[in-house]
Amino acid sequence: MNTNGYKIRTINLSLSYGSKLALNEVSLDIKPNHVTALIGPSGCGKSTFLRALNRMNDLIDDARTSGEVLVDNINVYRDDVDVVELRKKVGMIFQKSNPFPKSIYDNVAYGPRINGIHDTKTLAEIVESSLERAALWDEVKDDLKKSGLALSGGQQQRLCIARALAVNPEVLLMDEPASALDPIATAKIEELIYELKSNYTIVIVTHNMQQAARVSDLTAFFYLGKIIEFNDTKTIFTSPKEKQTEDYVTGRFG
Amino acid sequence: MPRHFELELDQLRTMLIRMGSLVEEQIDCAVRAMAESDVALARLVIERDKKVDEFDNAIDQHCMRVFALTQPVAIDLRLLMAALKINNELERIGDIAVNLAERVEPLLPYAGFVKKTPLREMATAAREMVKDSIDSFVNNDPELAKKILISDDAIDSFDRETFNLMIKKMKESPENVEPAAHMMILSRHIERLADHATNIAEDVIFLVNAKIIKHHAYASDSP
Repeated sequence: MNTNGYKIRTINLSLSYGSKLALNEVSLDIKPNHVTALIGPSGCGKSTFLRALNRMNDLIDDARTSGEVLVDNINVYRDDVDVVELRKKVGMIFQKSNPFPKSIYDNVAYGPRINGIHDTKTLAEIVESSLERAALWDEVKDDLKKSGLALSGGQQQRLCIARALAVNPEVLLMDEPASALDPIATAKIEELIYELKSNYTIVIVTHNMQQAARVSDLTAFFYLGKIIEFNDTKTIFTSPKEKQTEDYVTGRFG
Repeated sequence: MPRHFELELDQLRTMLIRMGSLVEEQIDCAVRAMAESDVALARLVIERDKKVDEFDNAIDQHCMRVFALTQPVAIDLRLLMAALKINNELERIGDIAVNLAERVEPLLPYAGFVKKTPLREMATAAREMVKDSIDSFVNNDPELAKKILISDDAIDSFDRETFNLMIKKMKESPENVEPAAHMMILSRHIERLADHATNIAEDVIFLVNAKIIKHHAYASDSP
């Protein structure tokens, strides 16, 4: 599958919105079954980079991309790549939890149904296992008919993770997944990320330095559309090689 | 951009520098009291150790507060780690000054004997190392810190020489046994002074260069 040992590689990935260059020749290798954190000040390109990995930027009219994004060695920007299949494989969790105005069950079953699974028993199994993997099953198993919108913020976010897991992705992209949550819900999401990494490749954008330090194995520091430093998370937070990284993680600029 | 956090770190540095000069003064006085058989000065050193301990507590508390409230990383984390360790070393150096001072009175009858040993020379060299180690911290100077690591060898050989000389003196006359035993212990205390200075120097190198070099891990920065 990943002959080079990396799940995702970007090679000279550039992206501009109209005349504004948001990513400037970014090359980054993402290891399978690791959590890679993307940090940097607002507007540095980290979210754009994350969205480029499953072509979410396609939805923006004036976004132009050049360079390559290889997922399992296949350039996802090739014309013959099925974007729906790509997004099944590379799922995304957003900052604001966005459950559908449907029941908990239907939220999780939504993806599998679209993919043609209609057998009740199979769907029930997928819903249960996805909710379990998202550490939500025990809290909702007695009331799967309840609206997803009736859950607490932290539960909604885990429901969205369950919904993403239901289509059997291999990569999870998370854009500030805990920024709207209280510390307890945040801790649950972080614990979940830690557990999920044994089965998934996770890339997370976060503004919370301590969160990046807690959950990730590797950290990339973005600034002005470029990667300034990419290293073990431990190195980034104890002895970064670049002055700019040190200034950012210690809160001296950004 | 002045930041609340920078002020906290500045305060910490200031406290360490003040503690460092107090500790230097303590060694100076202890060595002088020993060389000049000045019991009053020795008592002053013993009494003043309380102040060193107060600094020790205050710096520990300050570090704990900054750790808890700001979750420092990178250079800030290294400064706090180094501060905690340097604080500990300075406190131990203060204790050694007291150990030296405590031997001034028992050695009064042997003032002549003491003068014929290289102890004052050795103590001066060790004191210089302590001073340099504090300066290397104050000035963020890893080059000075590296020199201290080299000086430590000289103190170690002073200690060995003193030991051999004292054995010789003991063999010469039973009357030499008591002062020579004191001298051996003093020599060991001074040798420990130099060790603490060396530890501070290693902490400074860690702080500035992010390289851990203690336990002779000179070649690599990983365990």
